[in-house]
Amino acid sequence: MFAFLHRNQVPLSSFCCLLLSIYILAAAARGQIKNEPLSTFLMWIMRPLQIASQGTANWIKGFQENYDTLAGFKSENERLRKRVQTLEVERQKLLEAEATNRRLNQLLDFRRHLPATPVLASIIANSANSWFQSCLLDKGSADGIRKGMAAVTPLGVVGQVVSVTARTAKVLLLTDPNSGIDVLVQRTRSRGIVSGSLENGTVLKYVKRSEDVQEGDRLITSGLDGVFPKGMMVGTVIKVSKQHLGLFQFIEVLPAVQSARVEEVMVVAGEGDASKN
Amino acid sequence: MRLFLLFFLVGIFLLLLQTTLLHLLPIGPVVPDLILVLCVYLGLYHPSVGGALGSFLLGYSIDIVSSPILGLNAFAMSLVFLSVYFSSRAIWIQNPIVTSLVVLLAALVKGTAVVLISAVFLSVEGFWIGAARYIIMEALVAAVLAPLVFALLRRGQNYIEKFHAVAQ
Repeated sequence: MFAFLHRNQVPLSSFCCLLLSIYILAAAARGQIKNEPLSTFLMWIMRPLQIASQGTANWIKGFQENYDTLAGFKSENERLRKRVQTLEVERQKLLEAEATNRRLNQLLDFRRHLPATPVLASIIANSANSWFQSCLLDKGSADGIRKGMAAVTPLGVVGQVVSVTARTAKVLLLTDPNSGIDVLVQRTRSRGIVSGSLENGTVLKYVKRSEDVQEGDRLITSGLDGVFPKGMMVGTVIKVSKQHLGLFQFIEVLPAVQSARVEEVMVVAGEGDASKN
Repeated sequence: MRLFLLFFLVGIFLLLLQTTLLHLLPIGPVVPDLILVLCVYLGLYHPSVGGALGSFLLGYSIDIVSSPILGLNAFAMSLVFLSVYFSSRAIWIQNPIVTSLVVLLAALVKGTAVVLISAVFLSVEGFWIGAARYIIMEALVAAVLAPLVFALLRRGQNYIEKFHAVAQ
């Protein structure tokens, strides 16, 4: 018996890991796992590293965009080019400061229109795989963020908080296949659910064939899910098709917020949640 | 212990890369899965209880940082380790093409596991429809990067072992 265990220790330990994963999956699916210590420990290590790394990534992104501008100066001589590059780096810093200032001002204005007191948070990491669309915020339960709160910007909905540690919060983005936001077509008040999909980007589901939905229609949150404040912009309809069979229309949506370009979000309790507080 | 520390630090570094800087690569929605490559490396060169636990923890770390549900990537990475462990008895990896091929197959195993587990535990409607494209794209990117990651890991491991030998 002992010899058998010793001989097969690697496959047996792997098998135990698989069973443990399934147990964790089942417990997580039932919502029984809350703030286990490993998450807190990993986040404690990762948070400062991710803040620094994301800062570098944002700087590179900004620099790439500005480099396109620099490309026009290629024909000029080397001295001028170096001078322009130096100035460009300085300009980039000023532009970045100005853009940050503008964004934060917009968020402050927007904050006054929200039903509950929002928490301003920065995105410090994105999803680690291609399957799921999520991001990590630099604020957590210690700052008042709770699971189920909405992440929004002045432009519209970003996603929903799905888990929190003391200093970080994970947001499931609107474009994730697991997300689902109760929306209204602003023009006709038809209801549906906006969700991500791997196949077609973001889609509006469960809208009956008889409902009047057209390209260009704006979608806003209905507020009925108790997660998102009512009337927030979700996206714009870009394609409507009615297949031969089926009860519902197929509708593609362009999200109002391009999550890849967002750096700060407001985390706010929904109307249902806010009234409880 | 030194090797454990090496793989722990490499795991943290790769997770950091995957969640931040690798998103800047112009390869569409796919993020190179370097942690999968590390799990394959563990399965091939460290077929031990520590390797199995390491793969599980690497997957669990991804779950903590970015999965909609805990346990999803832990399961997939453990399965990858087990698959590679069994297949490593039949193959002899000495050149980058075979390395890429093994990582490609491991990525396909992982992608399929993620889709199946998502279908069971997340009940995402129609999730599998677009999944094939993602599985293949992710597998190809991982396969292309695998020889480089393997070479770096081997170099790091050699350095640690040499340092250990000299210290003794």
